[in-house]
Amino acid sequence: MKYSFYPGCSMEATAVPYLKSFEAVAHALGIELKEIPDWNCCGATVASGVIGDYPAQVMTSRNLALAEPHGADIVVPCSSCYMNLAITNRKFKEDGHFRQMADEALASVGMKYGGSLNVRQIIDVMVNDVGLDTIKSKVKKPLTGLRVAGYVGCQTPRVFPWEFDDPEQPVFFDKIIEALGATPVKFPVKARCCGSSHSVAQPEITADSCYNIITSAQDDQAHLIAAVCPMCQLNLDAYQDLVKERHKLKTSMPVLFFTQLMAIAMDLPPDAWALKHNIVSPFTALAKFGVGK
Amino acid sequence: MAKKIGVYICSGCGIGDALDIDALAKVATKEYKVPVCQKNAFFCGKEGVEVIKKDIAENEVTYVVIAGCSGRVNYDVFNFGPSVVLERVNLRERVVWTQEPDDEDTQMMAEDYLRITLAKLKNLELPEAYVIENCNKRVMVVGGGLAGMTSAVEVAKAGYEVVLVEKEDSLGGWLKRSYKIAPLNSPYTDPEDTGLEARVKEIEGNSNIKVYTSTTIEKTAGAPGMFDVTLKQGGGTLEEKVGAIILATGAVPYEPSKLGHLGYGASPNVVTQAQFEELAAKGTIARPSDGKAVQKVGFIQCAGSRDQEHLPYCSAACCVESIKQALYVKGQNSEAAVYVFYKDIRSSGQYEHFYKKAQSEGVMFIKADVTGVTDDGGNLTIEANDLLMGSPTMADELDMVVLANGMVPTTAFEDPAYGTEAQEEAACAAADAAPVPAPIIKSNILNLEYRQGPELPSLKYGFPDSHFICFPYETRRTGIYAAGSVRRPMDMSQAVGDATGAALKAVQCIEMTDKGGAVHPRSGDISFPDFQLNRCTQCKRCTEECPFGAINEDEKGNPLPNPTRCRRCGTCMGACPERIISFKNYSVPMLGNMLKSIEVPEEDEEKPRVLIFACENDAIPALDMAGINRLQYSKWVRIIPVRCLGSLNLVWINDAMSKGFDGVLLMGCKHGDDYQCHFMKGSELAGIRLSKVSETLDRLGLESERVYMTEVNVMDYDRIPKIINEFVEKIDKFGPNPMKGF
Amino acid sequence: MTGFNVSSGPLKYDTEFAREIYSLENGHHIKKCMQCGMCEVSCATRKEMDYSPRKMFLLLRTGQREEFFKSNTMWMCSTCLMCKVRCPRGVPIVDVMHDLKCYAISKGYTERAQAAFYQSFWKEIWSRGKQFEGGLMARYYLKRGWKDIRKDAFRMKDMGLTMLKHGRMPLMPPKSVKGLKDVQKLVEVAKAQLQKGADR
Repeated sequence: MKYSFYPGCSMEATAVPYLKSFEAVAHALGIELKEIPDWNCCGATVASGVIGDYPAQVMTSRNLALAEPHGADIVVPCSSCYMNLAITNRKFKEDGHFRQMADEALASVGMKYGGSLNVRQIIDVMVNDVGLDTIKSKVKKPLTGLRVAGYVGCQTPRVFPWEFDDPEQPVFFDKIIEALGATPVKFPVKARCCGSSHSVAQPEITADSCYNIITSAQDDQAHLIAAVCPMCQLNLDAYQDLVKERHKLKTSMPVLFFTQLMAIAMDLPPDAWALKHNIVSPFTALAKFGVGK
Repeated sequence: MAKKIGVYICSGCGIGDALDIDALAKVATKEYKVPVCQKNAFFCGKEGVEVIKKDIAENEVTYVVIAGCSGRVNYDVFNFGPSVVLERVNLRERVVWTQEPDDEDTQMMAEDYLRITLAKLKNLELPEAYVIENCNKRVMVVGGGLAGMTSAVEVAKAGYEVVLVEKEDSLGGWLKRSYKIAPLNSPYTDPEDTGLEARVKEIEGNSNIKVYTSTTIEKTAGAPGMFDVTLKQGGGTLEEKVGAIILATGAVPYEPSKLGHLGYGASPNVVTQAQFEELAAKGTIARPSDGKAVQKVGFIQCAGSRDQEHLPYCSAACCVESIKQALYVKGQNSEAAVYVFYKDIRSSGQYEHFYKKAQSEGVMFIKADVTGVTDDGGNLTIEANDLLMGSPTMADELDMVVLANGMVPTTAFEDPAYGTEAQEEAACAAADAAPVPAPIIKSNILNLEYRQGPELPSLKYGFPDSHFICFPYETRRTGIYAAGSVRRPMDMSQAVGDATGAALKAVQCIEMTDKGGAVHPRSGDISFPDFQLNRCTQCKRCTEECPFGAINEDEKGNPLPNPTRCRRCGTCMGACPERIISFKNYSVPMLGNMLKSIEVPEEDEEKPRVLIFACENDAIPALDMAGINRLQYSKWVRIIPVRCLGSLNLVWINDAMSKGFDGVLLMGCKHGDDYQCHFMKGSELAGIRLSKVSETLDRLGLESERVYMTEVNVMDYDRIPKIINEFVEKIDKFGPNPMKGF
Repeated sequence: MTGFNVSSGPLKYDTEFAREIYSLENGHHIKKCMQCGMCEVSCATRKEMDYSPRKMFLLLRTGQREEFFKSNTMWMCSTCLMCKVRCPRGVPIVDVMHDLKCYAISKGYTERAQAAFYQSFWKEIWSRGKQFEGGLMARYYLKRGWKDIRKDAFRMKDMGLTMLKHGRMPLMPPKSVKGLKDVQKLVEVAKAQLQKGADR
């Protein structure tokens, strides 16, 4: 299984544990990743709001053009990056007018994108390419008894609704959790918004959103939350103190990238767990699986 | 045909576990001396069916009684042809699935149900169809608009001759007055040509369709399969014989002069949708006052409709019409400002795409209550309360205002002479309560020679349907079907569907009549009521109460039944105080014997008995569903199905009371304004008859509450135990019927 | 939820403003809104908005220019896509919100914190080809000024330190994209293409 890999800006900074665990897990699962050379920012949820959808998409399409020579589908872990790359790619394939204009723009810098690639979300790759059975077969330390709230977040299931999962009550993420031997809890807010980039300008919006998510996980007796998106994980993890202070919440809820859980269950070396980066300590929750500092 | 009864008791589906099958068989063989009685664990299996077939072939069994599952299932498996009388005893859904297994009272219940059926057979004969000679298989379509033309073509396509009658000098109806029509084809986004020419050509080129234009109907006599219609053309008349009739006379716009509050009449630039259509057909849409091409147009929806002062109902087509006309304006000038003031946009079905198209073209839709339209010397202003913005609003400098003035069925005009005041007065004059018949408006369309009045009874607001949802096209006159906007307000695409449906109904009716069978809802039933006229007292109850106007009468008041108009509900049978009306397989004495066959224990046994008459249309299916869902109810009840509560004859209540039943419960369909009775008036009539019984009961020292009528909808199955148990508890409080044992 | 606050006299419809909005990249979709309210009940940040998306579209359609610029609706959108998935009329509400943000910024309505954040974020991308938290925050506070820094600084300092401690807040920016010039040119060309399209 070969992929072009688009890490996105967060992976190099705030989502370091995601990068570390994902690379290790991918290697163990036989996934070959080739980082897109000299990739640029996808525009996040912000560029479109400053320069408009089309210019932001043209900017994003540079990444597609850079990835095409490698000839492999692009795997994207971050939900926002996935949204921008996947929508732009879809427009290249289906919107003739867009393609004509974007070709023209790319040509102005001597680039070209033929529309031959697919942009794949990381869960999609795990479930449909790697397969749940393969994941199960690689699990050495099943996370039996661990109750996990699988937080899929907002954009991941909704960019192309029903194409690989339900946009409001997605199920595949829970299946991955199950494949690791853990128990996915009901967690009805698994695809609600975390507050996104309001964390900077109006942190209380993020705190309120995260409060709903954390308490829902607690209501379902989850030991921890597993996340897919770097922004969600950061908001739930780094802003948890603010949430607790604002809502007089007493107990903490560890928030891990799901690849960290995979690394633990697959019994990869502790470096791959990358747990030192987690702000809310996950060690108590994971103690019975031999996970310690 | 010799009557030889064979009883087949099935012990499958848990029946054998819950009941003593041998004891049950003894009821047949010992009590009723039935010559053939067989037991099997799987009668609906191949071998089981063979057992019965063999008895029919070799043992000359002619009356087959299968005691097992409900008659509503396996009817295809247990089909032994028309020469065999088949009765089903429902031991499964009605006994073992609703009662304690292996219990004395459950056994008694099962045995009673077998007795009821065997008693029924005593008076039951195989009906012979009433077949008329030379059943006429032509269909008359009244009205040559879109619906009428569609019906005519559909009937002709099915291979039947059509007589199409149009009062104007050419076919087309509203299509003639339309510039374009709302789309009837995918993608439903743009107005379409009316296609009138092609439609007329198709009709004229079809040798199965005979067209009369400038023609009206002077008289319609007869019945399905044998209508005699007198047509009036010019000064003269001519006769046509047909088997069924489709009424497609459509609707006309609501009178705009009544819409002065919306500016009509104050300015020539305030027009109706029909007038706007004429302007559009002329080419450039220009305002009437000075011929200026329109730049800014306001549409006012529900002008008259959904307004208690005018038309209380939604006219259904005006939203789509205004969308179409708004697109005319946008098509003429894409920069034109078009405002549509609406209550709710009701662009149902595919017209959602049409609505979206108009929005995309920039037509502005404003949810508002219009408060006034003013004219400031040429330009118009609409003032309104914008309900979404929550603020008063105005659109000014309008060139034109178009009123979506709704529709009134052609059957709603003239005096509501029959069935309303005249008969209500008569009812009031009579001491006892009588049903108020549906109003019949003398709209001079069909001019029926029917005892009950010259036109179709109106359901509501002059629309001659019988039930807008459950029985579309079925009017209350058998063999006459209404289609299109005369039936209920509708747009053209719905009218096409309606016309096709009615065409099918007319063909069905003709074919059924030819075989002597009934139409909806007892489709194919060949039994029909027989009148012993020598005992008739000319009380006219049957001719008045028949919901379908099936019975005319002579000058002396004797009933003149028209069997092909009959729907076999038995309302006449229930109405007749002399009990002279009966079917071969459904009669007053038959039901009497059935209820008398039930064993009513003595008072000291403390086993009360409650008789339930349940309507076959909704109550019986609901009871079956209760069984399927294993809902338990009182073991003291015994259920007898009836065709309709309208067939309830009061003598049965007498019989039940003197037999010692402690109570009688009637389960029928909902009646009143939004009735669900499949025969329109049956349950209502039963209620009225019952009100007469209560006095008698009281006089006899019996609590009148011992007889109670309730409404059961098929979806009410989960309420069945509550309904039954509560009634039984109430009866329990009264104590035993003092007439027990007499 | 607040009601509309548009005018004291009878409301008049300003079609010119509505047309300007319809001419935005995704603006024409607004016309398809049938005011059902599905977006309103789906929105994650509805309670923060002064007008729900549905009401915002109504304001735009009726041409309430002033009220639009005062409203915070588009700035509260967190791009969670729920409304876009659910809208029965297929209005890409999130994309419309992008346009409204652009439009407000282009008309100089930038005093909201979110507007400052958006502009800072974009500047970061523009100058590096990638996003760097440190740079973003510096730019943001520069834009917001002394008052906001004082208000947020304490809280943000704590959080920053925690993230630093856990190795999640690099102090040095990532290497700029080598093809930064290409990135910038692409954006410029695309903007010019749009402008050309609009002029046509």
